[in-house]
Amino acid sequence: MRRLANNLPFWGLLPAWALMGFALILPILIIAAVSVATRGSHGGFTWDFNPAGYAQILFNEGWSGELEFTPQYLIIIGRTFLLAGATTALCLIFALPVAWYISRQTPGMRAILVYLVTLPFWVSMILRVYAWMIILGKDGPLPRFLETFGLAPGTSFMFNDGATLVAMVYTCMPLMVLPIYASIEKLDLTLIEASHDLHGNRFTTFRRVILPLTAPGIVSGAILVFVPALGAVLEPVLMGGGKQMMMGSLIQLQFGGGRNWPFGAAIAMVLMGLVMLFLIVTALRAARRTAGMEARA
Amino acid sequence: MKTLLSASALALITATATGTAAQAEGNLNLYVWADSINPELIATFSKEYDVKVNVDSYTSNEDLLTKLQAGSSGYDLSTPSQHFLRVMIDEGLIENYGANKLEAFNNIEEKWRNQWWDETQEYSIPIAYGTAGFAINSDLYKGPTDSMKVFFEPEGELFGKIAMLSYPDEVVGAAQLYLGVPFCSEDPDEMKRVLDLLMAQKPAVAAYSSDNIASRLGSGEVLSHFWWQGEVLKARKGGAPFAFAFPKEGLVGWIDSMVIPKGAPNQENAVKFIEFMSRPENATAQMNYYAYSSPMKVNAEDIIYTPENAPELFIEVPIEFSRTCSPAAQDLVNRVWTQLLQ
Repeated sequence: MRRLANNLPFWGLLPAWALMGFALILPILIIAAVSVATRGSHGGFTWDFNPAGYAQILFNEGWSGELEFTPQYLIIIGRTFLLAGATTALCLIFALPVAWYISRQTPGMRAILVYLVTLPFWVSMILRVYAWMIILGKDGPLPRFLETFGLAPGTSFMFNDGATLVAMVYTCMPLMVLPIYASIEKLDLTLIEASHDLHGNRFTTFRRVILPLTAPGIVSGAILVFVPALGAVLEPVLMGGGKQMMMGSLIQLQFGGGRNWPFGAAIAMVLMGLVMLFLIVTALRAARRTAGMEARA
Repeated sequence: MKTLLSASALALITATATGTAAQAEGNLNLYVWADSINPELIATFSKEYDVKVNVDSYTSNEDLLTKLQAGSSGYDLSTPSQHFLRVMIDEGLIENYGANKLEAFNNIEEKWRNQWWDETQEYSIPIAYGTAGFAINSDLYKGPTDSMKVFFEPEGELFGKIAMLSYPDEVVGAAQLYLGVPFCSEDPDEMKRVLDLLMAQKPAVAAYSSDNIASRLGSGEVLSHFWWQGEVLKARKGGAPFAFAFPKEGLVGWIDSMVIPKGAPNQENAVKFIEFMSRPENATAQMNYYAYSSPMKVNAEDIIYTPENAPELFIEVPIEFSRTCSPAAQDLVNRVWTQLLQ
């Protein structure tokens, strides 16, 4: 009886471990294995070791028939990171004031506003993107409104990078607002008063008091937005017109029309590796900042 | 609270009861092109044979092939196009159900029997054939449509108002037809010409997308969209101002056939369904619903389409059917596509 009680944490956590193992770690191991398998002639693969998928990211047969350095996949990877970075930055700029405003309301009002922020999650993502297609599209509400200010009739704001970014920022916003709100809510207001007492102006107070204290929220918000933005498929295709590939569609293509599963798995592994690197760097920097703050205190 | 509990308990019991009833004579899981099978026929079949029919759909042959390659899909019947059907036979992904011994075989029009995609006709029974090409919004575009040059090298009002499908399969095929490059070319120089053509067309293309086509073309967001001719016919029947272009270079053709994935759980029901769909009266109802031509014997007097009201189904320009490419040729198609969208 006593033994069981001692081992309770182990047995209690077993379901969680099993779930992690089967639903998370096992699939990643399968992808890793496929990425070094040999491609089948019409898709699929055979279990023969072959690292060609990784080599293909950098080197491919050119039109002259010789193996040459091909930057096309690096361009796609770079563009994907740029889009995810821009999405994160814009979300941050918009989310900070929103989170601040919510935290300054009465508790009842706060609950309502937080509820409203999460409301879009109740609607399927594809519907939300379709809504933006209507808003920005030809004869949509936005062009119609701007026509009253002299915009040429029949203008459409669809099928460009700006349209992609609008939908990306919109779908990711709640993921940024909520963690920042959580850390602002915990902020001790007397610290801000203290800053003003010490002749800190608004900007200094924001930079030296508010920003460092809400940094954990900002960091988790940035991670929650940046990582899924890297894998975005829907917005670039529906809003951007699919004229430039992102990593998500590139991977999808290899499992479909490209019929090169090991290559698709290899790109997925590279994407995952880069995300892990990003997370480790962020974690280390956060740890150093906390350590620095403690030392100063 | 108590009411809620008993209500959900009741719902659970009802669900279980209907679940058992439906399993009486088994299931049939269809995995077919979106909106491709006449729902009235499914209802009739379901009642006649006491089979519960589940319908899942896909929008590209690639999706279907990938799913079958991944194994144990749980589907009993599917409808790949000819060039993918060939791959599925060669890769052992579908069952030999002795199609040539079925009553359905005798209902196939002579000229569609024993073709290169299934020479012995043991694996498949065809259900529909059609083409892919350029559709236009005829309210907004009044210009010429008699050559693919209009769409691949657009000038004036069409520039920036053209949309292509998001699959290399159809887009590259049409470009090859326009340039006179054979399908499945393994010659890098020829495929480089295809890439050059598509690259030159790209600034005039608004989107590469296979979703939401009717509303994009109907709203005038684009004036021309690469599409399937039966979809144009269906939308036009519904009142949309669309027309299908018949370019002199010809059109890319496809024919879909009913196959049974390897290891399908309800193969007997699948065969019953194939026989059912191939009866002339049902093939007629299917063609009237789907708005693509039927390779089966139909009751001609009951077909609602005529050359006057449905020119899409009475095509006079040459139709070139997609081929099954070698891996080398497929890689070239893929290279063209990746460089186009890099």
